[in-house]
Amino acid sequence: MELEVKREKLVLRLGKQKYEWHIEPRYWRNPLTYVGILVILPVLAYFFYPTILPTLIDANLLAAIAIPLGWMTLGTGRMNFGPQFYIGAGGYAAALCSIHLGWGPAITLIVAIAVGLFFGLLMSPLTIVAGGLYYTLLTLLFPLVFLEITFIYTDIFKGDVGLFGIAPMVNVGSFTVNQLLICFMALFIMLIYMFIVDKILRSKFATALAAINDDEEVAEAMGVNVRKMKIISFTIPAVMIAIIGWFYSHYYGTFSGITYLPLSFMLKILMVNMIGGRVQIYGNVVGGYFIAFLELILIQLLGDYSPVVFYIILLILLLTLPEGLFGLYRKRHYREYLPTLHVRR
Amino acid sequence: MAVDNVSFSIYEGETLGLMGPNGAGKTTLVNLVTGKYLADSGHIHFLGQDITRMAPYKRCKLGISRTYQIPRPFPELTALMSVVVSALYGKDRENQSLEDAATDATHYLEFCGLFSKRNVLCKDLTLYELRGLELARALATTPKLVFVDEVMAGLNPTEAGKAVNLLERAKEEFGVTILWIEHVMAALMKAAQRVVVLHYGKKIAEGLPQDIANDPVVIECYLGSCHV
Repeated sequence: MELEVKREKLVLRLGKQKYEWHIEPRYWRNPLTYVGILVILPVLAYFFYPTILPTLIDANLLAAIAIPLGWMTLGTGRMNFGPQFYIGAGGYAAALCSIHLGWGPAITLIVAIAVGLFFGLLMSPLTIVAGGLYYTLLTLLFPLVFLEITFIYTDIFKGDVGLFGIAPMVNVGSFTVNQLLICFMALFIMLIYMFIVDKILRSKFATALAAINDDEEVAEAMGVNVRKMKIISFTIPAVMIAIIGWFYSHYYGTFSGITYLPLSFMLKILMVNMIGGRVQIYGNVVGGYFIAFLELILIQLLGDYSPVVFYIILLILLLTLPEGLFGLYRKRHYREYLPTLHVRR
Repeated sequence: MAVDNVSFSIYEGETLGLMGPNGAGKTTLVNLVTGKYLADSGHIHFLGQDITRMAPYKRCKLGISRTYQIPRPFPELTALMSVVVSALYGKDRENQSLEDAATDATHYLEFCGLFSKRNVLCKDLTLYELRGLELARALATTPKLVFVDEVMAGLNPTEAGKAVNLLERAKEEFGVTILWIEHVMAALMKAAQRVVVLHYGKKIAEGLPQDIANDPVVIECYLGSCHV
């Protein structure tokens, strides 16, 4: 058997047989190719290396948080430093309902959505009244205040021990099969988010978001209802992130604020966003997988030193790639900012 | 007070010049009419409707649009997408798709001589191109009244001449009413039917361009020693 790349062709020789495939760059830009790879990955992991299934789940969930965060950043024109607040809200809502009321994941999902919607709407006016650094600092503060509340009301939130005894997401009897199913569910949620946000960013709605992101005052002077757009762009992503909290809750069977609400978790999400490229949906998926696997590799190689090295590597990457991995692509296709529409004469 | 007790009217189809030395309150006046600032007192009427407390985007949908003295493009959008935003949101149109808006936008870009730059990011355009883009963006909202804020600032004489011609053509082709803020008196004398002069936030003169040019108070304001 011989495999070679020759004149934009992939040539496979099997004995006397010869197979040729044209390598067309446009095929490589088809998202379905990558979706196929993402679907195959957990199956391969299940058969050959099941221990990386949790990493794949993490990667999908990190991407699923970063994707709506990208929408939120674009549509509000501000950087939210506290997306984990909604993970906490959704997670605790699901956990409390499951433990105290005995509700399963299907019903707690509705509760998590309702809680996410409530807090999203409650905090959305911040996007109108607070700008720049003030908004960033306020959003940074909320998860930390929430964390304090979980310690103050220990009887409800169980402090740093966390809530446990939450109904599992799936239970088919085998731990590995459970992990595989959960991995597919995480992938499914991430793909749904990717599809929704991608559709939005290719719609006429996105032109208003992009205008708000660039200059909200001018956008309003050009007829964009900036307040409405900002509230929508804040609330819906907040709900989407709260759903990930619900997922964490039922996936682990325990939920503790100390895992998700501190700055370290927020940094990880922001890194996904930065490494992938701000408001780059596909970039966020790359970022999610990159961060999850980098963390795994560093833990295996460096043990206790891994957190320090992890953030040093990310800092170096941020300095060298200010526009993330997608920035490399942008350098060659500089017009490919979202939303993009080409008109030819 | 940046604008104090200023009262004037602008009639459909005319070009009204708004003059005044630096700090006279010209841009503040535009900001008040377009809704960036809310007036402390008084009223602003547009087509018989009181718009004093109306949100800026609603004023835009009513038919008020503007350009900026220092161009304020959407830096990370292409020229085409910048104008598409105005075409989409400047006026409520039923069933208007993104492609429809893009078709509209190409028309306005072509009008302003920027069609060849349609896929260039706004941050990469020259000052003259940005002035054209500002006008295209304002026209794409299908306005009835356009505020043009110092369109000649920073342009060389040839570019300034082109900009003035462009404004005249815009008025002819789209039938817009123009309120033109300008320092360069010669340009206003040619293009404006009437001129309003502000100084320290107060209106000091209003009338035909040739009358304004000979008004002793206006001359004093421009040459100094004027007290309002």
